[in-house]
Amino acid sequence: MNDVDALRERLANYLSARSGRPVVVRELVKFPVGFSWITYGVRLQENGAEHDLILRLGPPYGLFAPYSALPEYETLKALEGSGACAPRAYDASDDPSILGAPFFMCERVEGSAPVPWSGRDSRAMDDARRTDLANDFIDALASLHTFDWRRSGLAPWGACVTPENAAARQIAFWREKHERWALRPHPMAHRAFAWLEDNQPVAPRVAIVHGDYRLGNFLEQNGRITAILDWELVHLADPVEDLGWAFLPQYRGGTGLVCGLAKEEEFLARYEAGAGFTVDRKALRFYLVFSLLKLALTHMAAARCFEDGRFNDMRMPAMATQIAPVLRQIEKTLGAAA
Amino acid sequence: MNTSLPRLIDGMIATLRQEVIPNLQGDFARGQAYGLIYMLNSIRLRASWSNEFLGEQLRALDEAAQALSALAPQLPGAPPPPAIVARPLPSAAELEAQRDAGDKAICDLIDWLGAHRASAPAAVVAEADAAIARYIQRQLKWELTTSAKPMFEEMSRGSD
Repeated sequence: MNDVDALRERLANYLSARSGRPVVVRELVKFPVGFSWITYGVRLQENGAEHDLILRLGPPYGLFAPYSALPEYETLKALEGSGACAPRAYDASDDPSILGAPFFMCERVEGSAPVPWSGRDSRAMDDARRTDLANDFIDALASLHTFDWRRSGLAPWGACVTPENAAARQIAFWREKHERWALRPHPMAHRAFAWLEDNQPVAPRVAIVHGDYRLGNFLEQNGRITAILDWELVHLADPVEDLGWAFLPQYRGGTGLVCGLAKEEEFLARYEAGAGFTVDRKALRFYLVFSLLKLALTHMAAARCFEDGRFNDMRMPAMATQIAPVLRQIEKTLGAAA
Repeated sequence: MNTSLPRLIDGMIATLRQEVIPNLQGDFARGQAYGLIYMLNSIRLRASWSNEFLGEQLRALDEAAQALSALAPQLPGAPPPPAIVARPLPSAAELEAQRDAGDKAICDLIDWLGAHRASAPAAVVAEADAAIARYIQRQLKWELTTSAKPMFEEMSRGSD
């Protein structure tokens, strides 16, 4: 029995036990998307009817292992009914005895995810479609950043997060990752951490930060965004952090547009109107450098999990080749800021 | 190995593109194959047959050259023996360890400057910053010069 057949059987057993009636897994298809969690499209047959869902597994050998499915699950549950552009979460557990790894199940939303790397999908859009997608993309982010998490199930997350310490907490979080993942010393990473320590902004508010908000992490259908995906890095922090990530050059695909969708100032103007605060441009620069460093660290994670022999996915060493280009971008960005 | 490493890699890539990928089922599997091509391209720009592999052949030649040189006077008109003096070559692992130790020292200095910037002489700190910046620029520029064109699009789509 191969891995997929074994997973199919475990999934059917789990869902049957949970619902108290037989559930058959008709299809289990692994998607080539994502670099961390493994994503499957699942078709179930239950009570004579078929329905689809998405299953995500956080493998023990994965990029950011060890995983917990709970932050993503709790966030989507908190956002349910708020009008947020997010799939409905069905189930999650960190108990590996169920499916072999922490897992998360959610609604399968119609649509396709544009690929960010070359800009081919962005350039193929006509202006009307790009404008609609840009508006949806910006509005969904502003809406997320105005969501009152204190009145939701996420309130306990915010016990220690303040506008004053939001940046410092993230620097500390990613510094620990750097120490864990780096296979060799990277002087530019140390320079970047030193610069971030010296230039921390105060957040305009503490908000839900998606953590990976970019082209490629949403579904679109007929020119409209149907769902924001991949919430695994969600946390409470400075909302400008998500802007810094979305503004990364890696997601512009050579178009010069933020995520291949909107000019920077147009993006910011619409976001500011929706989010209800003016984006401090120095804070945005801080979070751009932070995001570049976070991206370099993500590539270091890929190098580490491949080097340790945990994961033979060829995307891991491929990602590892991008450490130097990203560090070079940090060096140039800091040079421009000096 | 009797082929050059670059030609061997070119052949591997051509085989993957022409013979393997068209016959693979599934976007994920094809994406992995494109990942192989990307990594082979990356290896091509940085790798050569190792010093250990070539060094042992030179040492063997050296031994033969010494034995044959002793016999040469008794073989008038014969081609001269090989003139090999095998030098000890550092292994790639030794060079890598030297680089990492140097980078570790630079990182430690960056961290120290970050913590002592206010109390250290400003002009000296500025000079140290500039020297470190020049080193980082040179190091990263070399890494980029010896990097293959990324293929993330092909790896994500499973097609080119």
